[in-house]
Amino acid sequence: MKRSALFCILTDIHLWVPVVVLILGTALLMTLR
Amino acid sequence: MSSNATAAPARSTLSLHKLGVFCGLAAAVWLGSAEAPTKLVNEGFSPFLISMGMVMGAFVARWTVPTLLKGTRFLYRDLRDKPHLIVWALLGGMLWAVANTLTIFAVRNVGLAIAFPLWNTNSLVGLLWGCILFKELRGSRTRDWVKVLGGAAAIVFGAAVLAIATAQQHAGAPGRAAIGIIAALGAGVLLGTMYIPYRKAYISGMNPLSFVTIFTFGELGTILTLGWIFYGGAGNLVAELHRARPMLFWPFLGGFCWVIGDLFQQYAAKYLGIGRGIPLSNTNQLWGLAWGALVFSEMAGLSFSGKVLIIAGSLIMIAGAVSISMAAPPPSELDNWRLAMSRECDRYGLDSKNVAAVVQGDDPLADDPHYRRWWELLIMLTACAIFVWLAIGTRAQHISVSLPWMIVLMVGTLIPLLVCGTLLWRRTRFS
Repeated sequence: MKRSALFCILTDIHLWVPVVVLILGTALLMTLR
Repeated sequence: MSSNATAAPARSTLSLHKLGVFCGLAAAVWLGSAEAPTKLVNEGFSPFLISMGMVMGAFVARWTVPTLLKGTRFLYRDLRDKPHLIVWALLGGMLWAVANTLTIFAVRNVGLAIAFPLWNTNSLVGLLWGCILFKELRGSRTRDWVKVLGGAAAIVFGAAVLAIATAQQHAGAPGRAAIGIIAALGAGVLLGTMYIPYRKAYISGMNPLSFVTIFTFGELGTILTLGWIFYGGAGNLVAELHRARPMLFWPFLGGFCWVIGDLFQQYAAKYLGIGRGIPLSNTNQLWGLAWGALVFSEMAGLSFSGKVLIIAGSLIMIAGAVSISMAAPPPSELDNWRLAMSRECDRYGLDSKNVAAVVQGDDPLADDPHYRRWWELLIMLTACAIFVWLAIGTRAQHISVSLPWMIVLMVGTLIPLLVCGTLLWRRTRFS
């Protein structure tokens, strides 16, 4: 994949919303188990 | 996107909104029916292990069905043209796996009656993301906002009524209610956020069948990692799966049915958007209830007030689904959908003309003849062999079922598959 495409992915809000929710959800799961 | 899209020659002229509504309803039937095989497991296996069995069955189905319908060449070309979406497909699978595990904790701590309505709010979360990130409902008329928001809220409320009515007993562990509520709400947020990757893929012109073949790697990888952590190592996990071998066929079968429902849900998300498509497919609880009540006699001892609640909850859900079905996006909203699509094309250098055609269900590649490859036969045979192998080793489960009702519901499940599958083929060629 070209660097510019990687840059577009990493600066996409559509990526970071699910990533942050996934991190928080995983942290919650690990806390509850 | 347009409700009056011009169809390609020899294709059906069914509006995409109607097609999406059919897909959402078919998704509900199959997602609800996927619960039925897991009800045949009665030997006290952990819900997590049953969930893992379903994910494994889903993994098999997510490769078999797309290969059967479109062939590996088409899937490869679709993924090659939009490689950036692989990240979102994996992310979607990971979100689902974590959310599903949270639901298990929620049910254990507060019981299904409280947990289910809380995580069923995922459709409202999805609606919010659809509006903020993909311009869904923007530019829509007030009456459409009322129909969609009111419909989604009615489906969540109906789910709450059904869950309360069907709770046989409070399964919660004393003193752990807060944990269960947090887990259920967390699951709702994760599931609602999972629809971001769905919608992003479809406004970028990705085929739902290609999306799920990658989604499943995120799903299976995460659930295996969680199993490895929860059981304290790979050895323990394998031993546990080996112990569950006599019942694994049922969750595998459930996973297979679940994938068919999920595929319809993906098409609903594509043609209706997540704000409308997800609440419709979340009416799956009605079908799960029908299987439980009619086939497994789970409501045999239900009081009169319980029966009234079930009828009321079902009617509220149906009213919500009807309300959303009648809220076709007006041209002003469709303009905003196109803006969201243009953003993706500009950002990732996609061919906007091609993407627009695919979004309209007119994929230029869809009518290309696809030549079967030898490995496609191998994929089919492997999937069949896995199911036959699991079926041979399955121990009989002593659960009484109503055979006439089972036949009725199986026919009722197959009809939407045939009708909706035919509509999808005739209108979009599964694009």
